[in-house]
Amino acid sequence: MKQEAIPLPSELAATVDRLERLVQREREGRLQAEAIAERGLRELYESQVRLALLQRITDCANRSNDFSEAIGEVLKEVCEHMNWAFGTAYRVEGGGRAVSCDAWYTAEPARLFPLVEATRERMFASGDGLPGRVLRDGHPHWIDESELATGFCRRVAAASCGIRSVCGFPVMIGDEIVCVLEFFARTAMIDKDAILLTVTQAATQLARVIERERAQAALVHDALHDAMTGLPNRTLLDERSRAAFDRLPESREGLAVLVIDLDGFKAINDKYGHHAGDIVLIETARRFNEVIGARLGGRRRGDNLGWRATLARVGGDEFVIVLDALPDPAIAIDLSGALIDALKAPIQVADECVNVGLSIGIAHSGQAYASVEQLRQDADLAMYEAKSGGHGGVVTFSEALGNERRNRMALENELRDAIREKQFTLYYQPIFALGGDEDKSERLRGFEALIRWNHPDRGLVEPGRFIPAAEAGGLIVFIGDWVLRQACNAMARLHRSLTARGLSASELPYISINIAPQQFLQPTFSAHVHRVLLETGVPPELVRLEVTEGVAIIDPDQTRQVLEQVRSWGVKTSLDDFGTGYSSLSYLQNLPFDTLKIDRSFIASMDDPKSRKIIRAILDLASNLNLSVVAEGIETFEQGASLREMGCEYGQGYHLGRPLDEASAFALVWPEGAADAA
Amino acid sequence: MKGVVFNLLEDAVVREHGLLAWDGLLEMAGLEGAYTSLGSYPDSEVIQLVDAASAALGLSPSEVLRWFGRSAIPLLHERYEMFFTPHKSAQSFVASINDIIHPEVRKLYAGAGCPHFHFHDLEDGRTGMAYQSPRRMCRLAHGFIEGAADHYGDRVEIEHLSCMLGGHPVCRMALDWSR
Repeated sequence: MKQEAIPLPSELAATVDRLERLVQREREGRLQAEAIAERGLRELYESQVRLALLQRITDCANRSNDFSEAIGEVLKEVCEHMNWAFGTAYRVEGGGRAVSCDAWYTAEPARLFPLVEATRERMFASGDGLPGRVLRDGHPHWIDESELATGFCRRVAAASCGIRSVCGFPVMIGDEIVCVLEFFARTAMIDKDAILLTVTQAATQLARVIERERAQAALVHDALHDAMTGLPNRTLLDERSRAAFDRLPESREGLAVLVIDLDGFKAINDKYGHHAGDIVLIETARRFNEVIGARLGGRRRGDNLGWRATLARVGGDEFVIVLDALPDPAIAIDLSGALIDALKAPIQVADECVNVGLSIGIAHSGQAYASVEQLRQDADLAMYEAKSGGHGGVVTFSEALGNERRNRMALENELRDAIREKQFTLYYQPIFALGGDEDKSERLRGFEALIRWNHPDRGLVEPGRFIPAAEAGGLIVFIGDWVLRQACNAMARLHRSLTARGLSASELPYISINIAPQQFLQPTFSAHVHRVLLETGVPPELVRLEVTEGVAIIDPDQTRQVLEQVRSWGVKTSLDDFGTGYSSLSYLQNLPFDTLKIDRSFIASMDDPKSRKIIRAILDLASNLNLSVVAEGIETFEQGASLREMGCEYGQGYHLGRPLDEASAFALVWPEGAADAA
Repeated sequence: MKGVVFNLLEDAVVREHGLLAWDGLLEMAGLEGAYTSLGSYPDSEVIQLVDAASAALGLSPSEVLRWFGRSAIPLLHERYEMFFTPHKSAQSFVASINDIIHPEVRKLYAGAGCPHFHFHDLEDGRTGMAYQSPRRMCRLAHGFIEGAADHYGDRVEIEHLSCMLGGHPVCRMALDWSR
C-alpha cells in the first residue's frame, strides 16, 4: 500500500513538503481540540454523576430526621459512587471520643468481614487511629498504601481485605465535630480534590440530619421537662411512673410515690416577688437532685442496679419523686428526711435569706392499687395530711387515711345532692342583751343563722358533721350563698311583719350570718352581698357578717377591702371565735369590725381563773377599740351572770335559747304575733 | 461507530504506510473521510475501509482487523496512558476492559455501544473470553489482546473456539497466557 516515491521537480517537492507540514499541523490541532473537548466531556459527565449522587444524598437527608437511618444510605451511595470497598461512621460523644455507631456499608460483606469486625463497636479517643486524628484536627486525613502497612492500627484486617487506602472526614455543625466518616478502598485514592468535593458535601447533608435530630430532641426534651428547673414535668413523670407500675412484680411492691409541697412558698412569692419564688424553686430542685444523687451513689437512671428515682416538678411548688424497684419501703422515709434536712439551710434570695419547709406524702404500691394514678392520689392525700398539721413533715399513706378520704368523698357526693335537692334548712339561735346593772332581764337583740342538713336518712345533721367536708370539696361557696340569701330573706319577711305591727326600727332584731373563708375571699363576694341586700330588701344595718381570723390570715388586704365595702352599705361585721387561733391584735386594729364573739371554749371553762382573766382582757380590749362583745356558748345561769358582772353586753347559748326553726325562733320576738300568725 | 475508531485506524495506516495511504484508502472506499473522535459514524464505513485495505494489501478483512487492533494499542497508550499504568501485565489490563476501560469510554462518548466480554476459566487452565456483537469484530479484539501482550512484553496464544463469522451465535476465544 506504500506509495512509490516518484521523483518530483524540486519546486513541486518543496510545495508537497509544505502541504504535508500543513496537513500535519491541522491534524495536531484537531487532536488537541478533541483532547480538550474530551476532557470537558469527561468533567461534565463526572459532575453530572456527582450531582446526581448529591441529589440522592440530599433527598435522603431531607426525608430523614434520624441519623442512624440516613447514615446507612449515605455510606452506600458514596461507596458505590467512588467504587470504595467499605464505609463506616463514628458519632462523637461528649467526652471527645469517636464511637462507632455500628453503621457501615460494603457491597461484599463476606469479603470485608475482618475489617467490619475490627471496626464495629470501636471507640477512638482524640488523636488515636484515623477517626481520632480527624477528631483532633478537624480536617480530613488520608492514609496511603505505605502508611497503611506500618502505622494503621487495623492494618492486619485491612490487609486481609485487600485494602490499599483509607480516608477519614469530619462531619461538622459549625465548629463542632459531630461525626467522623471513614472509607476504605482497594485502589489508591488519587483524585483527592474530587473526593473532597463529594464527601464534604455528603457530610454537610449528614450534619443537617444531625441538626434536625438535635432540634427534635430539644423539642421533645422541652415538652417533657420543666423549663425553669430542668426537671421532668408531669407528662414525663406520668409516662415513667406508668411504665414503672407496669413493671411491678406479682407482689405489686417496690414502687413509692412521694408528693412534696413547699410550705411558705406563697408567702415568699407574695413578699419578694415571682423572681424570688423562681430562685427558691430552682435551688430546691438542685438540693433535691443532690440528695437523690448522693443516695443513688452516682448511679444513673437506666443502670439496672437497685432502685431508681425520678424527680419531677408537677406544679407551682409541687414536686413528685417516683421511687422504682425499691427493695425496702424505709428508703422512702429516709429520703424524705434527707430532703427536709436539705432545705433547713436558708436559701439566698437577692439580699435576703428565706426558709421553706416541706410537707411530704408517701404512698407505697401494693395489691390494692390498680393504677399508678390511685397511688399518686393517696400520696397527695398523705401530703395534705402532713400539711394540715401546720408544720410540714412526712406522712405515709395508711388504710385509715384512705377510709377517711373515702368517707369524705361519699359525704361530698351526698352534699352535692343536698345542694341540688335543697336539703338544707336554717335554724336561728337568739342573741340577747345580758342586761345592765338596773335591768337584770335579757332582751332579744338578734339571731345567729345556723345551718342544718335535713338528711333524707339521718334526719337533721349538725354543721360540724358536714361543713369541713364542704370546705374541703369547695362546696362551701354554694352552701354559704344559700345561707346568706335564705337568712336575709327570712329576716326581711320578719321585719316586714314586725314593722307592719308598729315595732320601731331600734327594736328590730338583727341577723348574724357565718361566712366561710373561701366564700368571703371570692372576688365577687361583696357584689353578691349587695345583690342579696337589694333583692331581699332586708335592712343592711340588721345584717351581721361573721368571719373568722382565717380570712385575714389568708389575705389581709382583701379582707379589709371587703369589710370596708359591706360596712359602707351599713352591714355590720363580726369577728367570730375570738381567742382561738392567732388572735392577732393587729387584725383587730387594722380590720373594721363592729363586734367580737368570745369563743365558747372560754365560757365553758369560766371556772378556771385563767379563762376569766382572758375574758376580762378581751372585754377590756373590745371596750378600748369600741367593739361590742357577744359571748358564745352560755350554758348555765352562772355563766350568764358572771359575764354580765364582767360587763359583757351580749350573749347566746343553750341557757338563753337553743337554735330553733324559723317559726319558733321568730315567735320569740313577739310571742303574741307568732300566735296570731300561726 | 465512534469517530475515535476511525482516527485510530487512520493513525495506524499513516504510521505504517504514510500519509497518502489513508487518502488512497478513502478514495478506494468512496468515503469523505472527515472523522473526529467526538462524532459517530455508520458502522458500514469501517467495513468499507477494512474491505478497501483488504483489497489493497491482499489480506482477508479478518487479518486487516487483527492488524488494526494490534497496531492501535501503542496509539491508545499515547492517548490514554492512565488505563495502562495501573497494570503490570497484559492479562490484568485485558481483564479491566469491562469494569474500567469501557465505563471510562462511556464517560467520554455518551451512548458508545461498547461490547461486553465475558471472561471465565476454562478447564484446561486457559482463560475463556466470549464475545457477542452484531459488528462481529472478534478479530479486532484478537488484535487488541496481541497488542496488549506486545505492550507489556507478555506472550499470549489466542485460539478461536467458535466464531460468529463461522455461523456460531457467539465468538469464543481461549487465551493462553502461560507461555
